[in-house]
Amino acid sequence: MLTDALSIAIAELEEEQVAGLVKERLDSGVSPLEIVNSLQQGMAEAGSRFETGEYFLGELIMCGEIMQDSMVILEPLLIGSNAEYKGSIVMGTVKGDIHDLGKNIVVMLLKGSGYNVIDLGVDVSKEKFIEAIKESNAPLVGMSVLLTGCQESMKETIEAIRAAGLNTKVLIGGNYIDDIVKDYVGADYSAQAATDGIKVADEIFSV
Amino acid sequence: MNEKEMLYQKRLERYMTAMDCGKPDMVPVAFGVGEWITKYTGTTLQEIYYDLDKSNNVVSEMLPGLDFDIFKGGPALWWPPMFDAMGSKLYKFPGMGVDENSTFQFNEQEYMKADDYDEFIASPTEWLVNHYLPNISTELENPGSYRSTVALIKGAAAFAMQGGIMAAAWGKWTMENGIVGQGTGFTKAPFDTLGDALRGMKGVLLDLRRRPEKVLAACDAITPHNVNCGLAGAGADTRFPCFVPLHRGAYPFLNPKQWDTFYWPSLKATIEGMWAKGKRMLFYAEGDWTPYLEKIAELPDKSIIFQIDTTDAKKAKKILGGRFCLQGGVPTTLLTYGTPEKVKEHIKRTFDELACDGGFILDTGGVVMGDAKKENAIAMIEAARKYGIY
Repeated sequence: MLTDALSIAIAELEEEQVAGLVKERLDSGVSPLEIVNSLQQGMAEAGSRFETGEYFLGELIMCGEIMQDSMVILEPLLIGSNAEYKGSIVMGTVKGDIHDLGKNIVVMLLKGSGYNVIDLGVDVSKEKFIEAIKESNAPLVGMSVLLTGCQESMKETIEAIRAAGLNTKVLIGGNYIDDIVKDYVGADYSAQAATDGIKVADEIFSV
Repeated sequence: MNEKEMLYQKRLERYMTAMDCGKPDMVPVAFGVGEWITKYTGTTLQEIYYDLDKSNNVVSEMLPGLDFDIFKGGPALWWPPMFDAMGSKLYKFPGMGVDENSTFQFNEQEYMKADDYDEFIASPTEWLVNHYLPNISTELENPGSYRSTVALIKGAAAFAMQGGIMAAAWGKWTMENGIVGQGTGFTKAPFDTLGDALRGMKGVLLDLRRRPEKVLAACDAITPHNVNCGLAGAGADTRFPCFVPLHRGAYPFLNPKQWDTFYWPSLKATIEGMWAKGKRMLFYAEGDWTPYLEKIAELPDKSIIFQIDTTDAKKAKKILGGRFCLQGGVPTTLLTYGTPEKVKEHIKRTFDELACDGGFILDTGGVVMGDAKKENAIAMIEAARKYGIY
């Protein structure tokens, strides 16, 4: 159960209340990092409400929006505060597909859970994925695809990642993604719901 | 009556009977020639989209010898030159913004801002002409200018040209193959008009919390236009259903209360408005609509054909069956990752579960894209004939 007023406010999607509390706490000298932690706990609660069926995508998007608005204020203040990430994750919608709603929700949830997400955007080539994985040394890469016609490019991207000798775990997600697609494209994990990504990340980064 | 005309009559009756929840001589089968065809014709998707003659020839060559009832059309849903003439920002087309073999995609933006609601609600068409068209088209940025006027004329001419070419092609396909077109007319759920084209998904979902009364007023303002669009686009035809791709009402975008409050009332009013004029809707429920089946069952009997994509088919049959025709049964991914044997097995099972007492049309659940295999698409039709006799 949440006890912190700010965590509760964001979990309840009380936009104005969150903005008020963030300002109030900053003014009274609470560290930005602590405020972010409170917000993250509230977001995690919204995520679990989604899992239990109490919240729908509309609520998750609203929660992400509130978080984003708060981070506009908090992020510049975090520099030098030794904010520690749980780990780095590369994300993108695969080549040929420009849909980003699902990906953005997952990115937002992962960021809210304390991960450093390198979001490559949409229509991402295999070369860009590989470059970003090498650069960040991320143990997990998430690939999004809505169009079934672009699942083939997901397969090509994963093959290229393997051919480059990278053993990064691959998580895939999208409306028409299931185990058949996962096996076909050679991914390690497949996600059916927005919050599955966090579960996979927590599993990988807890090792 | 020649042989093809007789075939047409037989298939038409099959379709009509199923639409009215009856049991025809066999399960009607719907079929479309999707983007997958380009893999077998040595053409790029860009050529198929831009060159209507080429695209129509591919379809003309494919159709003879295939035994199905209801035709859903060829691989190109849009003709990009019309959009290009206006400098449209709405879509990326094969070879124009995406790879030449990648499908067309909608470029979703907040083309209507939150501040625009009042003006839109006061007069939707006026707002669309004065603000939406300039927002979505580089050539129409300055309404009334020489450039804008010419672009409008070019766009309208392209629309008419496409209509003429496609009407001739459909006439030919019908006459030569005795197949029946699936529908006439097109419209949308009012909430989708707002959420797809105007405010975008994120915009409209945030509006539900920040300005719910505006969303409701906008949906109400759109409803009569969408009823009219479904009726007028089809001319006087009421034999065939109006195609309505449904988007934002799929699970799990809206919570049940939001769905009941914001999505359903204006869609229901659109369906009832058309049904009052005898026009049925092909309720093309893309994605999963399982949680909302009970609500959908409130509609007047036979006023829709319910398309099953990833909705729980058994529940749809239980809740809607008998009162509404159901269409679907074949997951699109099965045509990609399956084999002809698996497709056949699946169809046999589908018929046992869904088709038994009539009111059923076999079809793919959603839109079949370039990834499907031709042999699986053919296997679907063949299996349907083998197992589909009542």
